[in-house]
Amino acid sequence: MLRVQNLRKVFSTVVAVDDVSFEVERGEIFGLLGPNGAGKTTTIRAILNILPADAGVITFEDQPFSDQTRNQVGYLPEERGLYRKSKILDTILYFAELRGMKRAVARAEALRWLERFELADGTKRKIEELSKGNQQKVQFITSVIHDPSLLILDEPFSGLDPVNQILFKDIFQELRQQGKAIIFSTHQMDQAERLSDSLCLIHLGRVVLGGSVREVKKRYGKNALHIEFEGDGEFIPSLQGVQRSIVYGNAAELDLEPDARVSELVGILNSRLALRKLELREPSLESIFLQAVGAPTAGSGEGA
Amino acid sequence: MKKALAVARWEYLERVKTKAFIIGLFLTPIIMISMMVLPTLLATQEDSSTKAIGIIDRTGELARPFAEKMESRYTLKNGLPNYLVQVIAGGRNDSLEVLIRETDQRIRNGELEGYCIVRGGAASDTLVDYRSLSLGDFILLSRVEENLRAVISEKRAAARGVSPLLLKELQVRLDLKSVKLSKTGKEEEGDFIKIFLSAYIFMMMLFMLIVGSGQALVRSVIEEKSNRIVEVLVSSCSPTQLMAGKVLGLSALGFTQIGVWAFLGIVGTIQFGVQVMPPWSALLLIVYFILGYLFYAGVFIAAGSPLSTEQAAQQVTSYLVLVLLIPIVIAFPAMKNPDAGWIRIMTFVPFLTPTMMALRIPIQMPAAWEILATVLLMIVSIWGIMVAAGRIFRVGILMTGKAPNIAEIFRWIKTG
Repeated sequence: MLRVQNLRKVFSTVVAVDDVSFEVERGEIFGLLGPNGAGKTTTIRAILNILPADAGVITFEDQPFSDQTRNQVGYLPEERGLYRKSKILDTILYFAELRGMKRAVARAEALRWLERFELADGTKRKIEELSKGNQQKVQFITSVIHDPSLLILDEPFSGLDPVNQILFKDIFQELRQQGKAIIFSTHQMDQAERLSDSLCLIHLGRVVLGGSVREVKKRYGKNALHIEFEGDGEFIPSLQGVQRSIVYGNAAELDLEPDARVSELVGILNSRLALRKLELREPSLESIFLQAVGAPTAGSGEGA
Repeated sequence: MKKALAVARWEYLERVKTKAFIIGLFLTPIIMISMMVLPTLLATQEDSSTKAIGIIDRTGELARPFAEKMESRYTLKNGLPNYLVQVIAGGRNDSLEVLIRETDQRIRNGELEGYCIVRGGAASDTLVDYRSLSLGDFILLSRVEENLRAVISEKRAAARGVSPLLLKELQVRLDLKSVKLSKTGKEEEGDFIKIFLSAYIFMMMLFMLIVGSGQALVRSVIEEKSNRIVEVLVSSCSPTQLMAGKVLGLSALGFTQIGVWAFLGIVGTIQFGVQVMPPWSALLLIVYFILGYLFYAGVFIAAGSPLSTEQAAQQVTSYLVLVLLIPIVIAFPAMKNPDAGWIRIMTFVPFLTPTMMALRIPIQMPAAWEILATVLLMIVSIWGIMVAAGRIFRVGILMTGKAPNIAEIFRWIKTG
């Protein structure tokens, strides 16, 4: 569906994106991950032809970006905004028309989507009369109304309450089942982990990790010890056999060294903490990310 | 093309529905017509009640005859005299200063409309003061002047033994009627004020049209940039389509405005028989309006798209407003000599052509070759500015933060 090869973008002196490559297939939810300022938005803008790339090739179904492509992509920018003074329905219809939809078709679709988001009443209301969350829903509608085969969402969940986050996730799953490709960017690893089929993790403009979530986890696939406890877990990082650990208030994830003696370690933990839960399973993306970023030798050149 | 039309339709409908547009549509001509009609109307309005005026005349020669003339010559509609003149003498020992102070007070109290102070008698050329709270009554002022002059002439004539009858014969009354000749040989009674005002009004209308919609355009671009709608727009259609749509929508808006104004003008002409100008001139003016409008649409897009803040936009538009104001500032000297070389030269500066023509056409129809040449020049300029604006727009629309400098912008234009 979408192939990004060796993308590079430089802003005067700053290399925002460097040699980024990945592929997104139909029926796939693709997570573009990375901390703030990693280059996610720049990558998205280059894909959408909003910014010209300095180097690299981007193709849709093996074709370069064209006017036809424009009608097949949907885009929700990170910074949300609509014409405040305009009416809801008019706004949606305008964006639909810009994506090549016929007005009559667009109207029916718009009403269907508004119904779904419980905004059907008051389509004559102005955007500025809506709450932030509802404006975000309207903007989401403008990005999917034309039934795009590739949907690109920049931080789609920021600013949404949990109920609407679930609603959005349900819609993502539906779209995926319809064979759409969805790219979404986020800096929240847990979100990406739960939602995406494949991912690309960018750090400082470079791909640190890439591939399907299962693959990535397998590659970094040593098991990790996940514990929940009561007590002071500060000593955990210095334990024998712990390669790396993330300690929260009353939970921790421990990456073990290959030759670590698990039973001994559990014994120590059990003696010093009141353990509530103990689990040996694959590491979280967050842990993998820290591992990849913290140890560049393990991460560099691992791009798909 | 379909997408450009969608943009045009959006820009037009969203703008045409705004209160600002609807108000401007009807308010502008109303203001303009009031500007043309009201001053003359007010100035020639007759008094409805008798006005009391005073005269201080230390020589004692002029006050009485002046009062007689003023009271007898002018009457109100109801037959009462228009003016009552009080001769203010004061106490024998009062100095002029005291008298003035007292009379000023009476004016403030509303007892008198105004009064004149005659310094010196009939024998010498005389300085006369007129003091009043308002000096806006031109008719009264000119009557005071006329009658005082008459009284003085009569006094002098009498002193030399000239009979009043002879004096009357010697006095010349002259009315200057100006007739404007057009090249086709038709003659038309010209009223300087009328011509001046209509030229002025057409310039102002064009000015308001361009500035109003230019600012609206820049504001909408900045709004789209600041809330990032522009990213969605540019991913939906090409920047060229987007700009074409904006220009188209804006032009439709401008033509709506011109159309409504022209319609009002035609209705006014038929209904009230006020013909401001011959139809040919009006048609030609509309052509220049349209050309000027399109040209400035390009200029505003080129100037506005690299900006990202409302403040920067205001700064840039105010420079453009200054350029547009030049013809309005030079309107007066241009009136006196519409064929002057420098005025012709200025007509050939594309930024000024439409407004200069709006000024020149009502005063004196420029030569055919000038019209042809300027229209061609405008068409070429519009094409040029649109190409340049397109190149600036493509890059500028996605710029945020610091506005680029002129050199950078020229590089965008060159690299295309």
